[in-house]
Amino acid sequence: MIRPRCVVLAFALCLASPTAPASETDADCLMCHADRDLTSASGKTLFIDENRYGLSIHGQAGLSCVDCHADLAKVEDFPHAEKIEPVDCSLCHEAEKSAVAASVHGRPHQAANASIVVSCKECHGTHDIRKKDDFDSPVFAINIPDTCERCHLGLVQTKRGGDFIRVYNESVHFKAAKKSGLSVSATCATCHGAHDVRAAADPESRVGRKAIIRTCGRCHAWIERDYLEGVHGKAHVKGLENVPVCTDCHTEHAIQTAETLSSSVYATRVASVCSRCHDDENLARQFGLITSRLRTYSDSFHGTASRFGATRVANCASCHGFHDIRNSADPRSSIHPANLSATCGRCHAGAGPNFAKGKIHVVSEKTEAKGAYIAKIFYITAIGGLISLFCLFIAVDLARRARTRWKAKKSP
Amino acid sequence: MESQKEPLSEEALIRDDEVFLRMNLAERLQHILLVISFTTLVLTGLPLLFYELKIFKSIFGSARAFQLRGFLHRAAAVILIVDSLWHVGYVAFTRRGRQNLKDLLPRRKDVRDAVQQFGYNLGLTRFLHRRGIGKKFFARRPFWLFEKEPEYGRYNFIEKLEYLSVVWGSFIMILSGFFMWNLELSLRLFPLWVHDIFVIVHGYEAMLAFLAIIIWHMYNVHLNPEVFPMSKVWLNGKITGRELRTLHPLEYRRILEERRKALEPESPTWS
Repeated sequence: MIRPRCVVLAFALCLASPTAPASETDADCLMCHADRDLTSASGKTLFIDENRYGLSIHGQAGLSCVDCHADLAKVEDFPHAEKIEPVDCSLCHEAEKSAVAASVHGRPHQAANASIVVSCKECHGTHDIRKKDDFDSPVFAINIPDTCERCHLGLVQTKRGGDFIRVYNESVHFKAAKKSGLSVSATCATCHGAHDVRAAADPESRVGRKAIIRTCGRCHAWIERDYLEGVHGKAHVKGLENVPVCTDCHTEHAIQTAETLSSSVYATRVASVCSRCHDDENLARQFGLITSRLRTYSDSFHGTASRFGATRVANCASCHGFHDIRNSADPRSSIHPANLSATCGRCHAGAGPNFAKGKIHVVSEKTEAKGAYIAKIFYITAIGGLISLFCLFIAVDLARRARTRWKAKKSP
Repeated sequence: MESQKEPLSEEALIRDDEVFLRMNLAERLQHILLVISFTTLVLTGLPLLFYELKIFKSIFGSARAFQLRGFLHRAAAVILIVDSLWHVGYVAFTRRGRQNLKDLLPRRKDVRDAVQQFGYNLGLTRFLHRRGIGKKFFARRPFWLFEKEPEYGRYNFIEKLEYLSVVWGSFIMILSGFFMWNLELSLRLFPLWVHDIFVIVHGYEAMLAFLAIIIWHMYNVHLNPEVFPMSKVWLNGKITGRELRTLHPLEYRRILEERRKALEPESPTWS
């Protein structure tokens, strides 16, 4: 937010000289800084492109050099000292400055060889600052990934490393922004915020486990609605830990559409995603879940085929739904006994009431599927018995033949 | 002329190198179709039981390969069904087929043969007898000494067991497989738990059949020193007089008897 005093100042200046942004003082500065070859002792260019500054938001507002470089306003001796005070943007942009100060970027980051503090110019640039809806602005939605990745791919890595950031560049959000030019697609700032970026563990973070539902729901509104109606969402609202939120299934940065082969929720990968929790003993105890979901699914044709990469077989989501998964006792659940023929019927045309007369995900056949259990025991006994008999017979037969041969050799 | 009244020697009636037809063309074709369909069914079916094995994953590890697997499995199933129907027709409508079936039916002698063959191979009771153990028992029941190998007819107990297993197995597999193939039909007729039994039975019967073939059948027709490396009957259908005499002595003697009768004057009183 720009402080009103500054706006009035800028407006007045605009009115006074709308076409010539350079004030008298600016002209003084440009006497030297308009020289393309002007460099500091260390060889850094000190050239200021007057035209580009004129196009910048501050140039258009008519701010003069010393409005920002306030310490130079009173300098009489030129050239001025090489070391000058850093520009304090908070003179006008106080709210932003304090938001950044409270964010992860407000604290010095201990990089490999130096501690790094992120200042405004790291993201916004210096003399060439553009409005955020200017295509050339480093903070224009589609340019944001480049701006953030300048640091976060190499120089400054978060706890989870560079790859954690890099996979964003393969995500559906990145592609929508970069390839399709969709400025409303999620880039870094969409989820993490701009000035108030916080670590996910921070309770005020937009990407923490608590807030992520709302963050994703800002764009994916009906998915948020469905999620909040399902078992996961209801438990989440109650404040329970260990309840899956968006990122648990979809991953954070590498989000892909479910149809993409590398997606974490691609048809053949759904089972392993769900079973991370649904086969976990601790969570099972906490929530009273039944485990062995993956094994019992894998043992079925659906599961086996899925393991081989078949996508036209049912995975967890095909029957249970995904965002609004409901308990089977809920009449609106896709696996409520009354809805099973409709659910199964989506693939098995004409599925009748018999689809509900039996159990899916049978953990203990002994108690849950007696018929199958008896058949299994019968066959295990038969196979074990017959094959041992065969082997025994063959062994004895071979032994006898060997004996006969040996005897024949000994006494021809 | 006097010598002609003497019964002809076995040698003269059945020469060692005389060729007998053990499997005719139809039977051989039925067997070849069975080999083709069985092998394909096993190879395309086992991956479903052993989905963890890397080898199956590398072969069928894509949606298309897996789809092809299913297609091949059902194609082989159709071959097996056609083959089975042909065989049923063959057994029902040909004289030879009916005779084969009759010869293949299990009898009490087969159990006795199996015990005798095993006991003979083991030789334990002969050993005990030599040591003077159980003399009284063996004097009363000399069978248990297993001094001789059993004499087999056209089909020995091993062959009968294999044949009946194939009949039983094919019936089970075709029935359960048919309902697995036509899941919607199956669940119109049966509740899910019955269908689950089909699935379980199909898998375990397959394991049983696979192991039985790999161990029992392969030993008896390939690895058995008597026929090693392979009995060629399934290819040329031929068996020699010598083989008939040693492997199927009862059939050998039956043929011998038939030939003797044919040569004898119809009734000595007429001459």
